[in-house]
Amino acid sequence: MLPDVVIIGGGIIGCSCAYYLAREGVKVHLVEKGPLGSGASKAGQSHICLWEQPEISLKLEKASKLLYETLSEELPLDIEYERTGSIAIVENPAELSSFEQTVQLLQDEGVSCQLLSPDEIIELEPNLARDIAGGAFFPQDAQVNPLMVTLALAQAAKENGAVIQTFTEATGIELSPGKAVVAVNTTAGRIPTKAVVNAAGAWSGAIGKMVGLDVPVIPRRGHIIVTEPVPSDVINCKILLEAGYMQTLGVENKVAIAANIQQARSGNILLGSSRDFAGFDRSVDPDIISAIIARNLCFMPILSRIHVIRTYAGLRPYTPDLLPIIDEADTVEGFYVASGHEGLGITMGPITGKLISQMITSQQTDLSVEQLSLSRFKGATRLA
Amino acid sequence: MAEEDLIICRCEEVTLAEILQAIHEGARTVDEVKRRTRAGMGLCQGKTCRKLVTQILAQHTGQPVGEILPATFRPPVRPIALNILASVEGEKDDAP
Repeated sequence: MLPDVVIIGGGIIGCSCAYYLAREGVKVHLVEKGPLGSGASKAGQSHICLWEQPEISLKLEKASKLLYETLSEELPLDIEYERTGSIAIVENPAELSSFEQTVQLLQDEGVSCQLLSPDEIIELEPNLARDIAGGAFFPQDAQVNPLMVTLALAQAAKENGAVIQTFTEATGIELSPGKAVVAVNTTAGRIPTKAVVNAAGAWSGAIGKMVGLDVPVIPRRGHIIVTEPVPSDVINCKILLEAGYMQTLGVENKVAIAANIQQARSGNILLGSSRDFAGFDRSVDPDIISAIIARNLCFMPILSRIHVIRTYAGLRPYTPDLLPIIDEADTVEGFYVASGHEGLGITMGPITGKLISQMITSQQTDLSVEQLSLSRFKGATRLA
Repeated sequence: MAEEDLIICRCEEVTLAEILQAIHEGARTVDEVKRRTRAGMGLCQGKTCRKLVTQILAQHTGQPVGEILPATFRPPVRPIALNILASVEGEKDDAP
């Protein structure tokens, strides 16, 4: 039986596309070069963040969170979804007024959040350092186990008839003379199909080249530290992050670091975060690990004697304007791109899969995806 | 005690039955078993169970032990306190 769609990439994005397509009765064949979730999906923390701007991001985040509420009921595995809320903390009094402006802006956009005084924050989190300037609580934020989401989406897709083929790498895409997708070649053979979804995360650029398109996604490395399990009363709100986290997105030429403390249901604390460009290098840089820990201990000194059991680095798919690409290419019929989510792949995974499914089945999309087009990038036309 | 109740990963208390279920769901490597069951995610990071998991995989999938992809090794080699790792760069160390 020939597939209607071949999905390249078995991370949270590819598996979400597979799930929402298979549910519509579309015949899906997903290929993944390693095990499922072995790129950025296994290398993050847990936060479903509902306040990263601009407006189009906020819309995607909100729509995705609503889908998570349903998915946590309908998926065959426990994805550890929980509405935990999150607290953003400002350390430096000089940064307080600009943070307050941001919060005002978010409130105007319909994001539920409330400013907190230092005393109010300490009341919520008695173990935080006392020398903080202020912050805000985001009650709608939630957390999830990203690996379980990926595995659960894949399993549910399979139950709806999808073929999920791991350890199989796409090696080329065949086009007709009229530039329409004809087949995907893989290390396990040729798969004829009329549609391909490029959900290869940080590796999406190479897939774009297979059809002569410049998909401007590059890997941006991020480090995370995992601690031993810690009792649940050490941190009340399971997601605490430094308000300056938002500014690390735009830092281009050096290693950007911001405190980000998230406790998983297992009790392990995941400490982030860093952003830097190191090509496809996924090795752990000990200096970056030290810097992340030092920054987190400024906020949560009580953790200083807690043990680290693991550190890891992953590659987030970065785009020049920090927005994902969710689009069918103008110039290659049947070539879809679902990539470039950077640090928001977990948050936006469900809505991305649903939008791609709606595009492929010619339904009205839940949101306008005009701003997420591939053609918004200069030079995103066919290579010579 | 039924054989399936045997604890394979002591840190995360993962039983043989859970490992077999993961293999049944398609896991073929140590990391895939780990991600489905948490075997090897605990304090010892699989030092005890990864060989057992490899053997179970070999028995139930027919692959030779030597061909089963081992788990990824990541630092630190053994648990180390956050304040010690924080000062690797030579920053202040308040620890005694």
